[in-house]
Amino acid sequence: MATIIGGIGTSHTPTIGIAFDQGKQQHPAWAPLFKGYEPIVEWLARMRPDVLVMFYNDHANSFFFDHYPTFAVGLSDRHTVADEGLGLRPVPPVNGHPAMARHIAESLVTDEFDISVFTDLPIDHGCFSPLSVMWPEHATGWPGVIVPIEMNVLQHPMPTPRRCYKLGQAVRRAIESYPEDLDVVVVGTGGLSHQLSGERAGYNDSDWDLRFLDLLTKNPHTLADMTHGDFIELGGSEGAEVIMWLAMRGALSNNVAKLHQNYYLAMTAAWAVQLYEEPVAATRRPAAKSRAGV
Amino acid sequence: MNPQIEKIRSLPGTFLFDLDRSARGMRLNRFLCGLVRPENRSLFKSDPEIAFENAGLTTKEREMVRTKDWKAMADYGANFFALEKLGRVTGVGNPAMCAQMRGEPLEEFLKTRRVPDAC
Repeated sequence: MATIIGGIGTSHTPTIGIAFDQGKQQHPAWAPLFKGYEPIVEWLARMRPDVLVMFYNDHANSFFFDHYPTFAVGLSDRHTVADEGLGLRPVPPVNGHPAMARHIAESLVTDEFDISVFTDLPIDHGCFSPLSVMWPEHATGWPGVIVPIEMNVLQHPMPTPRRCYKLGQAVRRAIESYPEDLDVVVVGTGGLSHQLSGERAGYNDSDWDLRFLDLLTKNPHTLADMTHGDFIELGGSEGAEVIMWLAMRGALSNNVAKLHQNYYLAMTAAWAVQLYEEPVAATRRPAAKSRAGV
Repeated sequence: MNPQIEKIRSLPGTFLFDLDRSARGMRLNRFLCGLVRPENRSLFKSDPEIAFENAGLTTKEREMVRTKDWKAMADYGANFFALEKLGRVTGVGNPAMCAQMRGEPLEEFLKTRRVPDAC
């Protein structure tokens, strides 16, 4: 059976990927961001999860409003990089895990979670920005595979915060019923506070962001009980996408430990990252894996 | 009425992209999102009027695109991430788009940022 060994919450702005490509890791304006990912890089390198299940959103690059899914799981063997208007980023495609993705889709639907599926659609910064900084050694290929789960956080009505949390719970049941013995990390992306449209553009609230991070760890149900209106008021209209972190949190157990957190507000979107580890991670098999040469 | 966003109807300076805006903005968003294809970017750069014609944009939509009136387009029904593609093609970054939305020059907006060179 597959096992969830941890979870990661991470911002996903396009600027993260671009700054990585431009080698700004030591730039004073960017170093506090990149430094915040070092414990994540180290943990992923040590734990070597077989699959990252990523809750992300497309930014009207592969999905358009003529047919817009609320939730969609990506079934492709290989996820290419989307051209978002600037040409392609110099990063390789990332492999999928089609067998697990198909299982997740089947499990979710039979669990009364009527998810859509997609294939052959490129993936944008929603996944590739976080991947770039979590797996920095990717010039010739990514060190792992992903199962992307796309969520509508662009067009209202969006799934409620509670529904996102429940999606995470259902994804956990799906992963735990997958027959292969794989280590899985769930990743929630987006946020934190920012607003890009209207006179309120440029809105941020660090106090709220830090409260959100704390609540996500200690009392995610408080967040799940909030409305989109609450999230927009407190964290900005685009910042409400943090409901994707709730899906990640929903896929974790109650006994999860927060190992790391970083928060940095520089420009328009506050950047944050969190790392959670499941108790079971201690018994999983980085050592056995290295013996097996996996 | 969507109870999830009811309280936001009265939040000043916020254009929620909902099904009303989406329906009104469909043609414009299709044009803007089409700019992720290199051939559409080339056409738009070399002959924007033909690109508008091909997309069937209305007079009002064309004018908003020509003048890069981000705020008017967002209020009308353009999704921000569709607008972002026009920004990329025309060399306008998100900070400048935010500044225009707020009705202030970019330099003023950057003064409100903690680390303005992080972009």
